[in-house]
Amino acid sequence: MTPTTDETRGVRAITWARRKQATAGVWREFARDRGGLIGLGGLVLIVLLALLAPVLTDETALEVTNTTAQPRQPPSAQAWLGTDRDGISVLLLVWWGARVSLLIGFSAALLSVFIGTAVGILAAHFGGWLSTTLMRFTDFFLVLPTLVLAIALSAVLPRGIGTIVLAIGVASWPTTARLARAQTLTIEARPYIERAKALGAGHRHVIGKHVLPAVLPLVFAHTTLVVANSIIAESTLSFLGVGDPSRPSWGGILQAAFNSGAVSQGAWWYLLPPGIGIVIVVLCFTLCGRALETVLNPRLRGQR
Amino acid sequence: MTENPGTDGAVLLELRELSVRYRAARDELPAVRGVNLRLGAGETLGLAGESGCGKSTLAMSVLRLLPRSARVDGQVLLDGEDVAAMRWGRLRAVRWASASVVFQGAMHALNPVRKVYDQIAEPILLHDSDQRPDEPPAVRHRVHELLDQVELPAGKAEAFPHELSGGQKQRVMIAMALACDPRLVIADEPTTALDVIVQAQVLELMSRLVAEHHIGLIMISHDLSVLASTCQHIAVMYDGEIVERAPSEQLMRAPQHAHSKALAAAFPTIGDPASRFAPATSNPLPEQPSERPVGEPVLRTEELRVSFRARGGRTVRAVDGVDLEVGENEIVALVGQSGSGKTTLARTLLGLQRAESGRVLFRGTPLPTSTSGLRDYRRQVQLVLQDPTSALNPRHSVYEAVAEGPRIHGLTTDEIGRVTRALEAAELRPAERFMSALPHELSGGQKQRVVIAGALALEPAVLVADEPVASLDASVRGEILALLLRLRIELGLSALVITHDLGLAWNIADRVAVMYRGELVEVGTVEDVLLDPRHEYTRSLLAAVPGGTHRAEPANGLRH
Repeated sequence: MTPTTDETRGVRAITWARRKQATAGVWREFARDRGGLIGLGGLVLIVLLALLAPVLTDETALEVTNTTAQPRQPPSAQAWLGTDRDGISVLLLVWWGARVSLLIGFSAALLSVFIGTAVGILAAHFGGWLSTTLMRFTDFFLVLPTLVLAIALSAVLPRGIGTIVLAIGVASWPTTARLARAQTLTIEARPYIERAKALGAGHRHVIGKHVLPAVLPLVFAHTTLVVANSIIAESTLSFLGVGDPSRPSWGGILQAAFNSGAVSQGAWWYLLPPGIGIVIVVLCFTLCGRALETVLNPRLRGQR
Repeated sequence: MTENPGTDGAVLLELRELSVRYRAARDELPAVRGVNLRLGAGETLGLAGESGCGKSTLAMSVLRLLPRSARVDGQVLLDGEDVAAMRWGRLRAVRWASASVVFQGAMHALNPVRKVYDQIAEPILLHDSDQRPDEPPAVRHRVHELLDQVELPAGKAEAFPHELSGGQKQRVMIAMALACDPRLVIADEPTTALDVIVQAQVLELMSRLVAEHHIGLIMISHDLSVLASTCQHIAVMYDGEIVERAPSEQLMRAPQHAHSKALAAAFPTIGDPASRFAPATSNPLPEQPSERPVGEPVLRTEELRVSFRARGGRTVRAVDGVDLEVGENEIVALVGQSGSGKTTLARTLLGLQRAESGRVLFRGTPLPTSTSGLRDYRRQVQLVLQDPTSALNPRHSVYEAVAEGPRIHGLTTDEIGRVTRALEAAELRPAERFMSALPHELSGGQKQRVVIAGALALEPAVLVADEPVASLDASVRGEILALLLRLRIELGLSALVITHDLGLAWNIADRVAVMYRGELVEVGTVEDVLLDPRHEYTRSLLAAVPGGTHRAEPANGLRH
């Protein structure tokens, strides 16, 4: 058994060395795009802050019963971004809201990309009636108004983060499916697929070894854009009042601000922070996504 | 002999110490180094060489059609005027009116959304100031005249490029090149994508037009015999320099430079006993036993029929009742024009295409239909594709590409040993050096060897090779063919080699099957079929082989 393990180790070493080299190459290309770097830096910072919220802040301060400050106070030394209608620090709300918004954004994007990739690859690989059925199904979801579907789903299902994730995920996968299908079709037209089939490869081998590795980078770049969209969708749903009321999210804060008359009272500190938070996160994701697309598709490079 | 002004003494094109370098990421890559060349009016010159030798760069420098990254030194004198010194307006006037280009690959050089008429008329309208667009009758007359010259009916003017065949598209390209009565035409691989019979027609047409209109012609090709059949002189380029220039006949008969010799030897003369079972290779072939046991048929088809549903519900029968045998220890060449159903037959043999009726038998048992049965069958019968560059996944290293087959079949013990043996059998030595390489780091010939090694790793009984050398350079061609022959001699590997190249059959095959419109019209030993063809179609294929008369004639009277 020893020679076999030695041998596999040798083979793996070759493979890993090459993968490391490829990753370094991708990073070098990515690092050339200043926008992408800024986006990535911003994202890392925001995600770290969101993850460290329980360490750096006190969650109990979010409870209405624990507040001592006056409601609707403009920014001051005690509350840097002022207080909300219950006297809770807006900074704290936005900080904790980031956790929910990012969690929902990532989970919904993952769900959507997973469904989309699976449907796209299967439709393109097998063709025939399966492809027709799957693509008609995709078209159906594509023309369905995303927001209405999401509202309907979250109205029917019990309220909670899971419902929101499901609603956004189910409503937004068709674009990914189209993308994965198109890429799979181009890959499958290449002669090396024919060669693999002639070597005796089955569906699993062709998809796993040839199609997926070629489709995933593209899907990955697309995912960053889907996350941005999911965060916006989550804010919209929460703002419309179908979100999870028990935990603050950016859309939820905006809704609370709107309902308590922050606009007419000129309480800008209540409205602006969650809105700016959404804009910054979405911008960071978009910058990253664009930079990744440029790395993966050399044809876009000239247009920088 | 190198400086030969034209019949009327005027020098049409003169290159003086021309050098072209391409700026790459860090350094400069020289493509052409100090070339001196003179072409008289009405003279024809063939430029031969392998890919990357700088022949296209040299030709494009005449009209300053090089990319921005190119740096040109030396002089290009067109009719005595330095092209490099021309102002933009003058250069535009010279382009097409004085010298024009027939580009490589007619299918890509024509605009797919414009009619043939508009495309031929375009240079006329651009250049002739006395034929403004408001005077269409004269232009229309000229376009029809041009179509007539390239032997296309006037009705084709209203056709779109996709409605034309490859040969017709190439004729349209030639008509475009002649539109402004240029004195020099540069033809860059004008027949590369065409099959033999169409190639012969296009070459004949070009020779006739060049002679009739007293045009100077520079024709680029990697195939010496193509050049020999159209050009008076041939210049052989190697690594950016012209290494030999001589009258065609002399160069074909007695090439001086080592590289010209290699080019001349790469395409064998059919009927020449010296090249029978002896493709041009630097590596001598093992002695083969004079008496070979006549093996049992390994792969056999019975009344095989394959059809496709074409657009509009019509069925097209690609393979029509084919009975073919590939014996143990035998190489069979399947020849025919493009579209004759050769590739479909190969795919059916491998179970990649379903037969409509008839059977494929491997050692007497029919081709299995179950997934696992097909997988086991494919261990025995392996495929080698035409273009090795696209047949290898660009993300997979050589090791992964070769190990792919064994992994699919669960042959995981001693994987490194298996891959090493396969690579060395395909003459990639030492195997370790190639294992971690990615396809783009290899040359064309090396890539094809990797594809062959990938097939060999399964230790198959039969190799089906679809145009295995069509996209390779002349010098590599001989090496790959020698490899196939050596595998037959040393490992007893049978092969079905699909090709449009009759010389290939003469080089390595034992038997030839000629395919025409889905049917086998003639099957027999190489000597019988190629030296004494029975069927009309085989004769026309043989007659279309370029440059046949320029070579040492075989004693047994193969006349064209």
